Amino acid sequence: MLAGDEHHPGTLPVQRMGPGHHAFLCYDDDAPGWDVLAAFVWSGLARGEKVIVLGPPRLTEAQVRSRLQEAPGPLPASGYERAQLELNSMRELILPDRRFTADRQWQRIVEESRAAREQGFTGLRTYIDMGWVADLGADLDLMMDRERRAGHLFTDGFYSEVCAYDRRRFPEPVLESMCRAHPENLLPRLGHLRCRHGDGTLCVIGEADAVTHGRFARALADLLRGPEPPAGFLTVDLSRTGFLGVESATELVLLLDRAPVHRPVRIRCRERHAGLLRRLGADPAALDVAG
Amino acid sequence: MAVESAGGPPGIGEELLLRRRFGSADIPRLRVLVESCAALCGLPEPRRGEFVVAMDAVAGNVVQHAGGHGLLELARTAKELECRVTDRGPGFTEDVIPDLAPGVNGACRGRGLWLTRLITDRLTVASGPAGSIVTFAMVLY
Repeated sequence: MLAGDEHHPGTLPVQRMGPGHHAFLCYDDDAPGWDVLAAFVWSGLARGEKVIVLGPPRLTEAQVRSRLQEAPGPLPASGYERAQLELNSMRELILPDRRFTADRQWQRIVEESRAAREQGFTGLRTYIDMGWVADLGADLDLMMDRERRAGHLFTDGFYSEVCAYDRRRFPEPVLESMCRAHPENLLPRLGHLRCRHGDGTLCVIGEADAVTHGRFARALADLLRGPEPPAGFLTVDLSRTGFLGVESATELVLLLDRAPVHRPVRIRCRERHAGLLRRLGADPAALDVAG
Repeated sequence: MAVESAGGPPGIGEELLLRRRFGSADIPRLRVLVESCAALCGLPEPRRGEFVVAMDAVAGNVVQHAGGHGLLELARTAKELECRVTDRGPGFTEDVIPDLAPGVNGACRGRGLWLTRLITDRLTVASGPAGSIVTFAMVLY
């Protein structure tokens, strides 16, 4: 794991990616990133967004297509049919230019966004494998400069982008710098859970399911044992939780019951999780529901 | 996750959206797939999220109690989104599902199925070729 990855304030699972997000993803042999890519594509198709995948340049379009078809059922097939899902490369995207410049790429993204709006899509999302840098012989500093100054593409909440870095092909300092330069940082695989403690708050990032339940339960116990919170109550923050299963939701309801009177627990969550918690018996007054 | 086309023999009047063999490691991907298909079928929030929780609970039961592997089929009928999960376990009946809300203290067998029955519009447990078939559905409008 990168040092910056551990504390990145925008870490989230791919399921929580939304319009306006500009996310960093680092992959390697252990976490090849295909399930993250597939989930990014499926979610975009389901939301009615146009999806463009600039896959690893070392793979042919047929190979990328086959990887996307491997898991996914009917979604990509219908996406291709409706021209909602497009496989491309940075080399082709910037044509007729042959040399990468940030301005040229931004211009093309603005054009693609405009076309997506005109075609009635609800957004445009792109997955960009950063292998294009070596493929085009581009300068690393140029690429990093582009990443740092790309914020204007995301301000109107229509466009979102994942920049995927193969850990084996970039120097560690570049990866650290790029991790920091992106407002969002994706968990490396589906089914992953990170629990972060701080100031009486437990932030649950990723998926609290049967496999990760043990870690989730330990994190809740640690929250109760932790130092006195500044706000007087303890908080479990589920705003970046991609999935909350029955076992883990039950554990949360138990926590509400077990918390000492002088250190009550509040749960910050979306309506999706609040509904589940209420059905399992959570006191609605303990739930801070947003969006 | 073993790949099967979504072209298996559908029931009468249904469109088969997914047909996947699964084990524990496949369930996160199945959740995303099922959620995406449910969104495409027009199942709104918060019911879509509840459908995924139900799928996870039923598939998790297969992994924990019925041999570790199962087959998930997701189908759309004129009125419903239906999920069928088939296993090769020892088999069980709906009697194991508690009638009343299980207390949160201590392990309670059947909590996932109890919740599934509560949040879906239909839940049945039947004997399959070798184990059980759990079917649940939600009305799409």
